[in-house]
Amino acid sequence: MESTRHRLIELLANSQSSYISGQELSKKLNISRTAVWKHMKELEKDGYKIEAFPKKGYQITQFPDKLSSNTLLWGLHTNWLGKNIIHKTKLNSTQILGNQLAAEGEGHGTVIIADEQTNGRGRMERSWYSARDKGIWMSIILRPGLLPNQAPQLTLLTATVLADVLSQKNISVTIKWPNDILINGKKAAGILTEMQAEQDQIKYVVLGIGLNLNQLQSEFPDSIKDKATSLRVETNKEWDRKELIHGILEHFDTVYDEYMESGFENIRLKWVSYGYKIGEAVDIVTPKENWSATLVGIESDGALIVRNQDGSTEVLYSAEIKW
Amino acid sequence: MLKIQEIHELIKRIDESSIDEFEFESNGTKLSLKKNKEEVIAQQPAVNTVQPTTSVPVKTEDSADIEQVSDTNTSTEQPSTSTKNYDYEIVSPMVGTFYSSPSPDKDVFVQVGDKVKADTVVCIVEAMKLFNEIEAETNGEIVEVLVENGELVEYGQPLFGVKTV
Repeated sequence: MESTRHRLIELLANSQSSYISGQELSKKLNISRTAVWKHMKELEKDGYKIEAFPKKGYQITQFPDKLSSNTLLWGLHTNWLGKNIIHKTKLNSTQILGNQLAAEGEGHGTVIIADEQTNGRGRMERSWYSARDKGIWMSIILRPGLLPNQAPQLTLLTATVLADVLSQKNISVTIKWPNDILINGKKAAGILTEMQAEQDQIKYVVLGIGLNLNQLQSEFPDSIKDKATSLRVETNKEWDRKELIHGILEHFDTVYDEYMESGFENIRLKWVSYGYKIGEAVDIVTPKENWSATLVGIESDGALIVRNQDGSTEVLYSAEIKW
Repeated sequence: MLKIQEIHELIKRIDESSIDEFEFESNGTKLSLKKNKEEVIAQQPAVNTVQPTTSVPVKTEDSADIEQVSDTNTSTEQPSTSTKNYDYEIVSPMVGTFYSSPSPDKDVFVQVGDKVKADTVVCIVEAMKLFNEIEAETNGEIVEVLVENGELVEYGQPLFGVKTV
């Protein structure tokens, strides 16, 4: 059903400058002409405009700009990621739905995307501002064959994926340990990773990504105005959500496979190349104390290495860098 | 050089096995593990060099706590544990910060006296912004909370004592 629809879009799109007859479509898809027509009606709901020209056939005259599971799946070239995409116009949070679905057995690689989140979540249940169509609000369900203590590496991996994709668009980014994406020192994207694991086995990981695209600076709530930014603010142009979602998913698909095959070292090197304030003094906050230290780099497992003022070196698994 | 998690894994496997003694040598690193008597681990140079970097707290009190806890951890196989009022420990699957509630202004997940089921979430351990919801993995009653909110916990460190039913 789904795949018939995608093949239909493909056939129509490939003959975009000419026409394709209902009979040909029916033959190629191996379904009746009535069924072809029904699929076209469904596609129109997604925002495709398909016109029928007498004696010539059909032609797509408009591709949708709104997102739907169909439009997101079409043109996505991944091996395993996003083969199932769940798109909602409005959700409390893609993380909440992601966790629910994963607990019910949803498979590795399913992606949940919302146009708007009414209760977008950051860590410790802090809210993540996620207004309609202004950014990418998505979660990925993973079932990695890793030990639970390796799973935090996935958050650093995801940060490098986002950084790579934005760099390819000529946007200069840095990563604040472990996984905040900064542009000109302001936060453009955040990653929240939640996991259910037993002592030696991961049940699932739900990886949430929030990327600000088209907000104006004035549209951010006052509380984050000084620290948040969007691609639009930084580049003075509007960004296409679908194109970037595809870019992120396709790159993640490749980088994740490489990581599973050859380990964290390449990710680590990549991460360091984007590292924010490496070699500089920063303020560090943990639940128990605050102090200032110099960022040295990251360990082979992704933990942060800092040099304290007394010259001693410390490795941190859990801390926040003030910025 | 062995990674700390590999050593942990080895210790665990040997603990569960009928092997009394284990020696491993590679590239100048020598690791030997023994199970007899009090000395669960007789000699472990690799662990000793790696551990200070993973157990972060500078405060001596904290480090002392952790050492103490890991001592009781290594001796869980010993008969002396029978004096405890719990028979199951929920342990941390990774190094990180222990959170007893979903956010600072929320109630704790569980407290002493609470009944838990295998899928009851008892706490969160966070490392590198990955939030790991820990489930009880057993049915019973929480009889002891072994760590404080915001405390750094080690891999394998007991977090809760549970009296199973």
